[in-house]
Amino acid sequence: MNRRNFLRVLTAACATGAGISRAQESGMASRGVKPQPRGKLSGLPFHAHFTDVAAHAGLRAPVIYGPPDRMDYILESMGCGVAFLDYDNDGWLDIFLLSGTRREGPVEGATNRLYKNNRDGTFTDVTEKAGLTRQGWACGVTIGDYNNDGFDDIFISGWPQNTLYRNNGDGTFTDVTEKAGLLHAGNRWGTGCTWVDYDRDGRLDLFVSNYLVFDFDKIPPTGKDPRCDYKGVPVNCGPRGLIPERPMLYHNNGDGTFTDVTAHSGVGSVPPGFGLTAVAADLDGDGWQEIYVACDSTPSLLFHNRGDGTFAELGLQSGLAVNEDGSEQAGMGIAIGDFDLDGRLDALKTHFAEDTVALYRNTGHLGFDDVTMRSGLGVETRYVSWGDGIVDLDNDGLPDLFWVTGSVFPEVERKHPEFPHKSPRVLFRNLGNGRFEELLEEAGAAIAEPHASRGVAFGDFDNDGDLDILIMNMNEPPSLLRNDVSGSGHWLKVKLVGTRSNQSAIGAVVTLSYSGHKQAQAVMAASSYLSSGDRRLHFGLGAAEAADLEIAWPNGTRETFKGAPSNHLITIKEGSGIVARERFGS
Amino acid sequence: MRALVLFLLIGLGTSFSQSGQASVEAHVGRGTRLMQDNLFEAAAAEFEQAVAANPQDPRAHFQFAVCLLALGRNDEARRQFEQVQKLAGDSRYLEYYLGRLDLLSNDYGAAIRRLGSVAENPPFPDTAFHLGVAYVSAGDVITGIKWLERAAKLSPNDYRIHYRLGRAYSSAGRDQEAARELDLYTRLRDEHKNNEKDVRDCAGALQNQPLPAAREVCHRMFDPNDPEKLTLLAQLYGDSGAFDDALDPLKRAVQLDPKSFDAWHNLGVTYFRLQQYAKAREPLERAVALRPEFYGSVVLLGATLYMLGDDDAALPVLEKAHRLNPSDAQTAQVLEQLRAKQQKK
Repeated sequence: MNRRNFLRVLTAACATGAGISRAQESGMASRGVKPQPRGKLSGLPFHAHFTDVAAHAGLRAPVIYGPPDRMDYILESMGCGVAFLDYDNDGWLDIFLLSGTRREGPVEGATNRLYKNNRDGTFTDVTEKAGLTRQGWACGVTIGDYNNDGFDDIFISGWPQNTLYRNNGDGTFTDVTEKAGLLHAGNRWGTGCTWVDYDRDGRLDLFVSNYLVFDFDKIPPTGKDPRCDYKGVPVNCGPRGLIPERPMLYHNNGDGTFTDVTAHSGVGSVPPGFGLTAVAADLDGDGWQEIYVACDSTPSLLFHNRGDGTFAELGLQSGLAVNEDGSEQAGMGIAIGDFDLDGRLDALKTHFAEDTVALYRNTGHLGFDDVTMRSGLGVETRYVSWGDGIVDLDNDGLPDLFWVTGSVFPEVERKHPEFPHKSPRVLFRNLGNGRFEELLEEAGAAIAEPHASRGVAFGDFDNDGDLDILIMNMNEPPSLLRNDVSGSGHWLKVKLVGTRSNQSAIGAVVTLSYSGHKQAQAVMAASSYLSSGDRRLHFGLGAAEAADLEIAWPNGTRETFKGAPSNHLITIKEGSGIVARERFGS
Repeated sequence: MRALVLFLLIGLGTSFSQSGQASVEAHVGRGTRLMQDNLFEAAAAEFEQAVAANPQDPRAHFQFAVCLLALGRNDEARRQFEQVQKLAGDSRYLEYYLGRLDLLSNDYGAAIRRLGSVAENPPFPDTAFHLGVAYVSAGDVITGIKWLERAAKLSPNDYRIHYRLGRAYSSAGRDQEAARELDLYTRLRDEHKNNEKDVRDCAGALQNQPLPAAREVCHRMFDPNDPEKLTLLAQLYGDSGAFDDALDPLKRAVQLDPKSFDAWHNLGVTYFRLQQYAKAREPLERAVALRPEFYGSVVLLGATLYMLGDDDAALPVLEKAHRLNPSDAQTAQVLEQLRAKQQKK
């Protein structure tokens, strides 16, 4: 080889570039995290077993959300929530499913749907009779009795408008959005929403997070903007590169109307972000509820309730805004629960693929530590993750972690099969030592079954003493995972009825003491991903046959109860004690 | 990580047995290059083969361990580090890495002991950061703050440190200091994101626009006081073949940071690509002095000397390049020619 040839070879081989990071301008925040290796399984039996009974139960209509095989716009990709509620107060959970539509025009049968529980494992679609037929881009749902008349009302966020349905108490609902003063000017994309009595006046106020400024005519569809690319495949644009929004807070005037207090409360003074799920709970135990908002690719927000009608945004100070490296993540869903049984409410936030979820341990005084990696959750980074829960699925007294998954870029799997459009559910069993292990096969085929899922609600629809799971699947019927728990784990359900506090008791925190453990749970109007679950709190007790309760009511008063027997649903009325005990389940 | 690996290659020294030496060196060289390209799985496979070729070589175990740590295979990493300890005894580097592994496994007491033992003479600048995190995690926020403050002084532009420090102040009830640190964190994080955007814009412009128009976009990256940014700008120019435009940023970068391997290496490569071999020689020599095991610099220096006709100087350099990457057939061919020429003398 002569000198000139050698030069040519080297010139071709040695580029100056040294691995320049070219993160996408558009798309969602992902850290490109590699999963941690899976350790040896504990080998402990898992006593929960899930079967998808949706079709048998009569939940056969698909939830329409954009085209079935592609997602040209981000609006088509984000999906919507689901709810368990008891709209007719018969003691059995009914189901409310949100729906989207398609850009090209109305789709027959695409509507939000209300299913009445027939108390035999099946449901009847009562949407039309209830006056809830509506087609559009619904996103989030929050359930609560905003007018304290004893019946649960429904607020739905969406694009381009939100909707408030008042429960008439006779099986029907009335759209009172405009009359209530909740119709906003212009088009907005409301996402997370939650009832919250932030000023403790006994009436439920309303918080709504907004995602981004969306307009079909102004945002390029898939393939039209070369910057909208994932793994070399053209995909829908956003959220980065699009215009973020601010959340809103409405004060309940007590006469069926609301006043926009976004500016006065301080909620409107935060920088714009891509807000998704919003949850309200008293995270620092001072008797006033905070509002935590999962933001997608911008720092998540924690509104600390100052107790004077205003909030201070303390996301960074608290540790809940970003991960332990100080990087924002693509926040989708939020679960609140007490995984380490120290009587404090912890948080679980879900994110994009190639990233972990974030598990935040409450260390007190509104401080949270990101314990994701040290708790063993770093083994799972494969999927885009959405609705989630910190829930005791096997009644062993240790809350487990569950979330659903599904891609926002169905086009990508054709080139990269490792990023599937439909993917399985994720379940981590709580080992009780601050660590979790992922169960891939042990909890039934319904867990491993792949879907493109979004919202999730947890509740005991068949009143058998365990938690079942309702899941929204994009352009498919929903999944209803019936849980059949074996083993000898006991449980206790607590239903609260407010009197001085709001009737739904939203914002209350119940702390249960059993077997040397202390577990806190909050009564919430929304959580998971844009969803609303059973407000009857479910505590697995393991071997304990009784438990002591402490209730912190939303208005600030506290009550305690000793020796509540296991395997019962107890109803506690504020100021009147236990007003009902119902034994059900095996 | 790139810097650490190569630094440790020098720091630990070598103790090759004669048998398998070439094989170990080749695997370690390939593994190191793969790590530099963030191809950790492939790098681990190379290091594993290096360990298999000579299980008594602590360097192979060490490199394997560092790679396993980067992959999050912490238990395996610990076993490899402990093997190094058996073969070569204690070192500051081992204490540092084992301390980090202790921290990752929530053994804060052990992490504090190990990292604390090397903190006054730290093997790497981020020792103080990890020690601070260990103290905060162990509940000793006051001592944690002390170390995080030291870490912030050592790396004032690292937003992660300011985030942790801000949170520690917040935990200690030092709200004003917390607010100050978190403001700084936010500013640095925003800068970091803006820099990323500038890089994307510049790369996009160089790819899609005529060079004069792209220069205007890329000029946003030109910070005459930031050697890393200058080097990155030059790399972008180099990637698009605009080597003339890469020269000024790189000359400024090596002035600002004479210990920057990236700046020297890229300056050498740029002169080489401009066929200004006499000018390429010194930067490449500086790069090789900073990272003697980096094949890319070594082979280019050899080639530069060869192109300058200085065959006597080129021969040992190319021999080293060939040891680092025995699969490079072209270098092997040139070496044969040079050796034959030497024999004829």
